[in-house]
Amino acid sequence: MPPGGRPIVEPEAEADPIEALYARGVTDGLPVVPPTPDRVRRAIEACGRHGGDLVALVPPNYGRATVEKIAVNAVMAGCRPEYLPVVIAAVEAVCDEAFDLHGVSATTNAPSPLVIVNGPVRAALDVNCGAGVFGSGRRANATIGRALRLVCVNVGGARPGAISMSTLAHPGRYTYCIGEYEEVSPWPSLAVEHGFGPQDSTVAVLAADAPLGVYDQRSRRAADLLATIAPSLAVVANHKMTHWGDTLLVLSPEHAQTIAGDGWTKADIRRNLFERLRRPVRDLVPGKDGGDGLPEHVLRKFRHPQDDETLIPKFRSPENLKIVVAGGTAGRFSAIVPGWTFSKGSSLVFRKIHIP
Amino acid sequence: MSLNPPDEYMDPTDSVAVPRKTARRPATLEGTVITLLDISKAKSDHLLDRIEELLRERARPQAIVRKKKPTFARPAPDPLRQEIVGRTDVLIEALAD
Repeated sequence: MPPGGRPIVEPEAEADPIEALYARGVTDGLPVVPPTPDRVRRAIEACGRHGGDLVALVPPNYGRATVEKIAVNAVMAGCRPEYLPVVIAAVEAVCDEAFDLHGVSATTNAPSPLVIVNGPVRAALDVNCGAGVFGSGRRANATIGRALRLVCVNVGGARPGAISMSTLAHPGRYTYCIGEYEEVSPWPSLAVEHGFGPQDSTVAVLAADAPLGVYDQRSRRAADLLATIAPSLAVVANHKMTHWGDTLLVLSPEHAQTIAGDGWTKADIRRNLFERLRRPVRDLVPGKDGGDGLPEHVLRKFRHPQDDETLIPKFRSPENLKIVVAGGTAGRFSAIVPGWTFSKGSSLVFRKIHIP
Repeated sequence: MSLNPPDEYMDPTDSVAVPRKTARRPATLEGTVITLLDISKAKSDHLLDRIEELLRERARPQAIVRKKKPTFARPAPDPLRQEIVGRTDVLIEALAD
């Protein structure tokens, strides 16, 4: 057994390893791979680090995520040993103060960390970037996202119904991991846009709701397609929520080609959507089209808010709209992944993956 | 599946994490300093105003202090914690919505 580990079940106490691990309350509701010392050792060896290295303190309980603890959870999630550097980078990222894992894990809202993988590691580990990118069927996506969830629960203490008090949550709390389909994207990748090189392998984590599909099979011009996408972005959180933060737009390869075919860059898309998504104060007054709306401290700035034409942005800045290209090469279906990113809340966080 | 499991599995939890305990509750609120902490949720102040009113009517505290977190989404910042620790006998933290 690697140093620091301790047995959690005796052979005579429980005959069935799957049931024994359920009984310990350390699963996500699905069966886990029993974390035998051999399996954990292989994972630690594959990442080239010492088991005792401290990677992060995981909120909200600030448990110590050592390489070994992360490896145990990764094994349980079904990861191959070579996935461990990706899981470690994701754990580092969610534990960055800017991600606010304390809030993400404890809120009554529904966010789950979405892991977005960029760089050569996608091909090396067979991370799905194409058809069915958010769906089942690919081991790397299924188990890397799941390993992060198990670390949040088993090391961070985010037990559903006890510390994690999400009213609804969403299925991404089992696993939530995609790759960007860089090879078919007409633009620089998300990671390159954020200062990494094309040969860097990275994870980005976004505190995210479930994906919302945006279908448009007829637009053949960038402006037409974005006119379809904008109203779907307008309903993120609710249709009167404003000053929202990082939110992901996942453009399918066909949609991306339509937009790029008109010569538009990612910055052009952001600017266009940002401007389309502003609304006058008078439309955002609580009581008009719903009881929610601008908060009191904002309303106080306007003498007659019910008549005021001042435009309020849906997103705090164009840069809060994050764009990746992913999904199958056939199909004019994109998706919006709303962030849990109100003011002073969570933001997208990157980490480089260190592959030995 | 084998019915003979391996001898031992590794523990996925942080076995050295210190269990959290709630603070000891005082027998009476009379003569105490009570801090009411607004976590910045909508209408927290409505709830705390009413609690303050009831405490002044019924509990005869020495003082009631009002504090506010910058956001409900994050833990209270250390300077705010330090302001509260040592200067209050009882803390009431209110959610709202």
